[in-house]
Amino acid sequence: MSGKEIHKTAPSDKISNGQKFAYGLGAIVNNLLGGAIGYMSIVLNVGLGINPALVGTLQAIPRFTDALTDPIMGYISDKTNSKYGRRRPYIFIGAIFVGLVFALMWQLPEGYSEMFYFWFFLIGSIIFYLFYTMFATPWVALGYELTTDYHERTRLMGVMNFMGQFAWISLPWFYAFMENDRLFSNSVEGARTLAIFIGIFVAVVGIMPAIFTKERYVAVDGEIKEKTKILAGLKTNVALFFKGLLVTVKRVEFLKLCAGTFFLFNGIMLVGAFSSYITIFYVCGGDTSMGAKYMGLFGTINTMSTLAAIAGVTWISSRIGKRKTFIIATSVTMVGSLSKWFFYDPMNPWLVLIPAPLMAVGMGALFTLMGSMIADVCDLDELETGERREGMFGSIYWWMVKLGMALAFGLSGFLLNATGFVVDFGGAQTSSTFFWMRVVDVGIPAIAALIAIFSVASYKITEEKSYEIRSELEKRRASAQPAAAEIQS
Amino acid sequence: MIMTKAKTGQNSKMKINKIVLSGLCLLLLVAIPSCTDSSDNNDTTKQEKVRNIVITMIPKSAANPVFLSAKTGAEKEAENLSEKYSKISVTVKWSTPETESATEQAKLIRDAIKAKTDAIIISCSDIDSITPAINEAVDAGIQVMTFDSDAPKSKRFAYFGPDDIALGEAVLTELSKLIGGKGKIAILGGNENAPNLIQRVNGIKKAIAANKGIELVGVFYHPENEAAAIAEMMRVQELHPDLAGWAMVGGWAMFGKELMNKIEPGKIKIVAVDALPEQLEYIEKNYAQVLFGQPTFRWGKITVETVIEKIYRNKKVDEIIRLSPIPVTIDNLGGWSRQLRAWGYQNIPDNYLRM
Repeated sequence: MSGKEIHKTAPSDKISNGQKFAYGLGAIVNNLLGGAIGYMSIVLNVGLGINPALVGTLQAIPRFTDALTDPIMGYISDKTNSKYGRRRPYIFIGAIFVGLVFALMWQLPEGYSEMFYFWFFLIGSIIFYLFYTMFATPWVALGYELTTDYHERTRLMGVMNFMGQFAWISLPWFYAFMENDRLFSNSVEGARTLAIFIGIFVAVVGIMPAIFTKERYVAVDGEIKEKTKILAGLKTNVALFFKGLLVTVKRVEFLKLCAGTFFLFNGIMLVGAFSSYITIFYVCGGDTSMGAKYMGLFGTINTMSTLAAIAGVTWISSRIGKRKTFIIATSVTMVGSLSKWFFYDPMNPWLVLIPAPLMAVGMGALFTLMGSMIADVCDLDELETGERREGMFGSIYWWMVKLGMALAFGLSGFLLNATGFVVDFGGAQTSSTFFWMRVVDVGIPAIAALIAIFSVASYKITEEKSYEIRSELEKRRASAQPAAAEIQS
Repeated sequence: MIMTKAKTGQNSKMKINKIVLSGLCLLLLVAIPSCTDSSDNNDTTKQEKVRNIVITMIPKSAANPVFLSAKTGAEKEAENLSEKYSKISVTVKWSTPETESATEQAKLIRDAIKAKTDAIIISCSDIDSITPAINEAVDAGIQVMTFDSDAPKSKRFAYFGPDDIALGEAVLTELSKLIGGKGKIAILGGNENAPNLIQRVNGIKKAIAANKGIELVGVFYHPENEAAAIAEMMRVQELHPDLAGWAMVGGWAMFGKELMNKIEPGKIKIVAVDALPEQLEYIEKNYAQVLFGQPTFRWGKITVETVIEKIYRNKKVDEIIRLSPIPVTIDNLGGWSRQLRAWGYQNIPDNYLRM
């Protein structure tokens, strides 16, 4: 294939729009579950008076349990043989139970001690995250294997990412909903009702990917019998799990994608709080109302631009490939970040809106392209190891994203203090404090984007390479199928 | 892959009812705003349930820009709270003497009682005259909160303002740094009967007692206007030509530009309370090194918020809510100027806003 040649997706490799949509519904549920606790946790402090440090602890602990449960779930899903597939049974059961647990964990009674709420919510959170993992890890893996086509994967991820944005649009309204005094006497009561809404939504919509998608790799009868042997050998499974984990984290192309994601995503997350502080206290001089207005507008423009970027990136990627598209999109975000230095001007506050669409491009591209590229890595991995381990790759990738996000939030407060910011001074911070806040706000995402570009620049699975891998795998499968048929007979 | 079988090709016959799926998908997202909307649509019901809460605001005088900024803060907070809580509509009624007068303030409190206001927020010009009027209001079922200047023995439920003793100590700490911890200093004290100023002077004296290198030449009182303050300063400087610094518990001497014609920038260090727009030039040109600005916008914002917490949400509120004065120097002159603009002050020079 020449450099200019572009593969056309074969009709047999195309995923129907209905399946894409069904899979995308999982993204709404996944993002909703991922963000809802964070957006609703304010009630623990404001409504129930729990110390903010304890609330922070409640959000941090699950990140550590995820480190263990995510890869284990990935491993279990990868090794599952059932006539319903490796992913769909877990998605189905996980969605129902995670919805149920979410609804129950927010039914917090009033009038108890701070530590009662702490333990109630902590235990609830741990159970919630277990079922969340049961749903999300196989759902992520399912996306990597719905099609074997290089471009169709990107289109699927584009639909998934596009639909997933709607969860992020709804999340900021949760607090207003819980605090709505027309509906509830207090925010705790609001949280209880909201949790029931979300629980029902999650349980009903979350099972859609399990019902309406088709797995490509399902067990035949003879293979199901092997499952008992696998489950019986706990020791063997533990050894296999760690072996698989090691192989996964040593996969260089995968690590490049992880590094690219880690730096771009967390670089932007890290300064999320800074941008708010700079908008309110520097650009708007401490006028919180005006600051909130511009932040709201920034968020709206950013969201709309992300949706447009996802569509644009999906299209461009089919023309110039995933790696180049990622580099271009990340470069645009880098320019957007640098432009904040000039557009964050106290004399013209409205200029803060200009970098918003530029900042959105990289984020829109990130989870569209990365999902598609990890699917390509899974093919390479199968070629070299003989196993399909989407669950393991997906779980490690997303755990890395979640851990990075937790670290970014923690580091954000530390950096803000390091700039000399004093909350009581409001807009009257020193020039040096504002200077360093702006340096961090502009510099960190720009440098992180640059590192992300370098990380992905040497990523080797091009369109041509991907089709070569696929061709090799299909030959191998074709020769394996008659053997399997012989075993059955 | 050995254990599994590849199933290539999609089941094209699988039909998904997208309308049903779309409906499910948007169920929650639509449900939340629609819950709100359904209440909004029922305007008649809402109108009947809305409780009007009138808060009468009685600052010391209408002429002082700090109170106009407080008024802006109070009105903005009233607007925010009316939007946040659908069952109340909060109004701030501005009721203040043109020039400072405790007697007039007491009369305005009694007028508010007659008008059956829901709450009063007040900065007291004088404790003795105001305390009985506040008590009458509270006895009539009206909640009263003070800000800036308190009436501590009255029946008011809360006070919002600085810890004046701590503020006095902070003034001396900054001045001590500027003069290297040693030398003669004087206190410009303003009205010797004003309780908040007395506390600030006491704070300065307390800090001097702990600082052996500093000698206090005296506390100098004067009528609270620019000319009287400057005249007193000149008199003291003639008596003490080796004076190293001024600790001012108020910024009267810098209400205009006259002082710039009388003193040399930086020669005698000045630390003062108040950092209003007209005083900023003293910082820029190094006539004064530190000014302690009060977040006057918050006088209005916090008091209105606290009143609503008390009378509508029935929350327990602290009796003393502290306000932290902000030290303004050349380092944060830009930030402070922008903050003043955000609080509703006018005529702040662009060159400060761009700093």
